Amino acid sequence: MRINSNLAKVAAVALSITYTGLAHAELNVFACEPEYAALTKELAPTANIYSATTAFQDPHQVQARPSLIAKMRQADLVVCAGADLEVGWLPMLQMKSANANVRSTDQGLFFAADQIETLDKLTSVDRSMGDVHAQGNPHLHFDPTRLLKVATALSAKLTQVDPASAVDYQKALADFTTRWQAAVPRWEEQAKGLQGKKVIAYHSSFKYLFNWIGIEQVADLEPKPGLAPTSGHLASLLARAEQGDILAVVVASYQDERGAKWLGEKANLPVVILPMSVGGNDSSQDLFGLYDSVISLLNGVK
Amino acid sequence: MTVLNTRVSLVALACALISPSLWAEDSSLTNPAISAVLNGYYQTGERPLAESPDGFGLGETELALSANIDDIFYGKVTAVVEMHDGDTELNLEEAFIQTMAMPAGFSIRGGRFLSDIGYLNNQHLHTDSFTDRPIAYRAFLGGHYFDDGVRLNYVAPTDLYWTMGVEAFKGESLRAADEHGEREFKNVGVYTLYSKVGGDIGDNSSWQAGLSYLRNENGQVTPHEEHETEDEHEAVEGHDHSHAASYTGQNTYGADFVYKWAPSGNYKYQNLSVSGEYFRVSDFTPTDLHPEDAPSKDYHQGWYLSSVYQFTPSWSAGVRYGEADTQELHDDHFHEQKLKESEVSLAWHSSHFSTVRFQYTHQNGTNFDGIEDDNIFTIQYIMSLGAHGAHQF
Repeated sequence: MRINSNLAKVAAVALSITYTGLAHAELNVFACEPEYAALTKELAPTANIYSATTAFQDPHQVQARPSLIAKMRQADLVVCAGADLEVGWLPMLQMKSANANVRSTDQGLFFAADQIETLDKLTSVDRSMGDVHAQGNPHLHFDPTRLLKVATALSAKLTQVDPASAVDYQKALADFTTRWQAAVPRWEEQAKGLQGKKVIAYHSSFKYLFNWIGIEQVADLEPKPGLAPTSGHLASLLARAEQGDILAVVVASYQDERGAKWLGEKANLPVVILPMSVGGNDSSQDLFGLYDSVISLLNGVK
Repeated sequence: MTVLNTRVSLVALACALISPSLWAEDSSLTNPAISAVLNGYYQTGERPLAESPDGFGLGETELALSANIDDIFYGKVTAVVEMHDGDTELNLEEAFIQTMAMPAGFSIRGGRFLSDIGYLNNQHLHTDSFTDRPIAYRAFLGGHYFDDGVRLNYVAPTDLYWTMGVEAFKGESLRAADEHGEREFKNVGVYTLYSKVGGDIGDNSSWQAGLSYLRNENGQVTPHEEHETEDEHEAVEGHDHSHAASYTGQNTYGADFVYKWAPSGNYKYQNLSVSGEYFRVSDFTPTDLHPEDAPSKDYHQGWYLSSVYQFTPSWSAGVRYGEADTQELHDDHFHEQKLKESEVSLAWHSSHFSTVRFQYTHQNGTNFDGIEDDNIFTIQYIMSLGAHGAHQF
């Protein structure tokens, strides 16, 4: 009896030491895309952040590979775009990583698309429409207003999973908000000349950017979402381009440039490769750099 | 009777769930993900121990339902409709629950599920890049080994992926042939152990390697009875259309690896995968075997090496070479037999959800189930509809 109660005490002390040890351990964050790794970096500068994808990888088609399972196994928080963008790999990672902390949005799982109204929500989805998302367009990080909303919600989520650092998170959010709100009018001023311009682009990757700046995407290099450009489709785009009102052909850093280059050459249009996310070119080292770079690249062809 | 009941309730379940209102909502968390796989082919010949006969045929037509059951359990049902000798059969390939909330990287899966031994075994047939599984799988695991049982799995909290697990199964499909129905089999017949490690090499490449061991309590060959006639033997062996393994033994050892590459790790436009596995099955000879009847080798073995290159989003090509080297029991002695299979395939993907494949198989066998030099051409489609299934690495 004596021994047992001593053992229990020792165990209790050991447990509490372990617990306090964990509470002060670095917060491990698994981001599905680099834009959310960058946003988390702004809001939790001391966290240990891992991005599952780079700006050169199509987030629709990611392998649920061993390294990602290992990283998710150790995560305290998983931050993803949502709206089914990661449907082909995130559920598999959750299943394989057996990490109870990140299995639901009540706990350490965060979807950016849940925090805002997405564009292009569909009431009915049919695969003959291509690989479309019923929950709307998930590439929402190019809308500064929506992204700030996401930042506010993400900060609250950080506080939920790591309440001990609540004050730090509030400070970081306030700081980010101030800098972001100062940058938005500057970007809008810079992009003024782009308003009303027409482009042909690949997929609906820049839907939010165009929606914000006032650019009109008049045609898509993909015949259907998720399908590669076909020669027949490119010929129809060439016919459209010959109307003479197109500013440029726009592709993202992870998209195949061949169709765009062909069209650009035939129609004598500039081809702009925009960084899809942070890390997509040398100047996009954080979210501010990404916005700066995208606007200056578009201004470059005006 | 059980089969019929399962069929009726599954169809009812599917009908109840496929309502338009559910489709529009989020299927990722609370509502079941429903998917079907359609698979049909025409081929000029038959691969030994394969599930697909020649001529026109349907491969496995799959209907799957999965969802989180509540906040700690996940469940999945996969029903498979197969055609065999003109009969339509409904089988349950998966019907399992899995824990999602156990601490420290542990999880338990129970029910009917695919064993996690080897690289290919836990993957569904429709995700393969070739029409049939490699000969090693067909000979030793009945194509793919699923069974009723339980699994305990652990994932280590390390940057290098490291998982290990232990499984126990009923083991009916891996039982040695029992021609007279007199053998007393153990009702928990199969135990497995496996471990896998994996990681990335830069941004472009990923790899995984594994080791597995399968203990089969019922794998040893049933002793031959002296007075048995040849006719009896043939009659019982007949054409086996279950998923039963043809060559079993008490101990099976496996090693597997897979390597995948894509430029900048972007799998959409181009990617390459190379995989290979080796299996060795030992301790299969009957206990009362006369020393002079002993087989020339006291193990069966099989391996394959396969590579698939997707060179545009719409086209991929693959090559695979595999061998099986087995000892077949004839009356009271063993015959060595060998099969070499060389295969090439070319697949067209109109989208992420549809594949049309052409495959050529050259078989070079030494007495392997009666098959000698054979050329087989296959044209096959595999298409999935419904929820976007998450694929394994």
